[in-house]
Amino acid sequence: MKKYVCKVCGYVYDEAKGIPSAGIPAGTKFEQLPENWVCPVCGASKSMFKLVEDSEKKTSYKTAESVAGDMKELTALEMSAVCSNLARGCEKQYKAEEAGMFSELANYFKAASKPYENPDMSKLMALIDRDIEEGFGSAKEETLSQPKDRGALRALTWSEKVTLILKSLVERYEKEGDAMLENTGVYVCTICGFIYIGAQPPAICPVCKVPSWKFEKIEGRAL
Amino acid sequence: MGDKYAVRNIRLCTKDCLCLYVCPTGAADTENSIIDISKCIGCGICSQACPSGAISMVPKELPPQQKHSEKVTAALNALLSSKSEQENIASGLSGIFAYAVEKSCRIQAEDIAREAGYMLPQSHIAHEFLRKLVNNPPSEDFPKETAEKILQMIPENDSDVLPGEKTIKKWKCSVCGYVYEGEKLPEGFVCPVCKAPYEKFTEQK
Repeated sequence: MKKYVCKVCGYVYDEAKGIPSAGIPAGTKFEQLPENWVCPVCGASKSMFKLVEDSEKKTSYKTAESVAGDMKELTALEMSAVCSNLARGCEKQYKAEEAGMFSELANYFKAASKPYENPDMSKLMALIDRDIEEGFGSAKEETLSQPKDRGALRALTWSEKVTLILKSLVERYEKEGDAMLENTGVYVCTICGFIYIGAQPPAICPVCKVPSWKFEKIEGRAL
Repeated sequence: MGDKYAVRNIRLCTKDCLCLYVCPTGAADTENSIIDISKCIGCGICSQACPSGAISMVPKELPPQQKHSEKVTAALNALLSSKSEQENIASGLSGIFAYAVEKSCRIQAEDIAREAGYMLPQSHIAHEFLRKLVNNPPSEDFPKETAEKILQMIPENDSDVLPGEKTIKKWKCSVCGYVYEGEKLPEGFVCPVCKAPYEKFTEQK
């Protein structure tokens, strides 16, 4: 699967995702798009697009399960989250090159992490319930000891609310399946992770209060 | 050069372009709208001139991050682990909903990791993390050079002296009155306003 970028506005057409909302199913090759197809953002013609280099690069990293030293307690996926978070820390300081390098490390750890054995929604639900019933409560209690750690409390408060929404949505999804998503959109808040199902994202995120443009529309899984 | 640099928030920029007119080095005028940090001398004139408040001054050296107690860190690490496990389950399931859950869990894990100590790439803990990976790569194909390069490019900031405790001094240009603030007036500094040389600056007591 390849990606093509519009040379005028920077819009990226991702073959893996397609544009389902415009009737272009996921997996549609760029060559298969009609000749009169234009950039959905700026209207540039198909010939104004160019192939994104490295989009074919395979990340076939070996499983990085064993990390020596004190980091044994961090799994590859946790290290991936640490790295993608540090990439954000660089972005905030407008350090684009350093952010890109942390993203590369995050991708390495994501690709090298061991897949979950026999994943299903009920196992996900069990972990969500454990967080709601024990994890958040005890963690929040620790933040209230002197001196109060309001930064940690902030992250816990957001994540707890997002986890409650996850529980509501997983319950619905188990009853309704993909019918729940028909004729509507799925949006994720890129700041706190709140998931919203609806035609348009909310004007402000109900959990962390960022404006709607901070929401990402989920169109399909890029493999 | 100065101890701050200017950054532009492109979403707030209304293209009044005053920054282009007032910037003494041309750092604000670029083809991709990102202020050229290598040219910016940190004078702050663009930030004051911008009518839409789209330019802010960012310090080059950031203060060490707030410390968290061991118990708080341990509780956050447990949740980081749980969120990563949830991300892993969701990434093994098909469909758009599972993909949204995967992303949501990653964003939560990142935020929790931030409060568990990994807020700044400049922090000691982030540097320790990278150093361990460099010294003990988790696999043969680990991008070790990338980790080494980050260590070189981003200095560690957990020193004993907080930047706020550093003595900020002022030097005034005797020609036009421009005031430079910082720990030390850089050698060869030229007044961004009137181009008077280094020698024309006098320290203000």
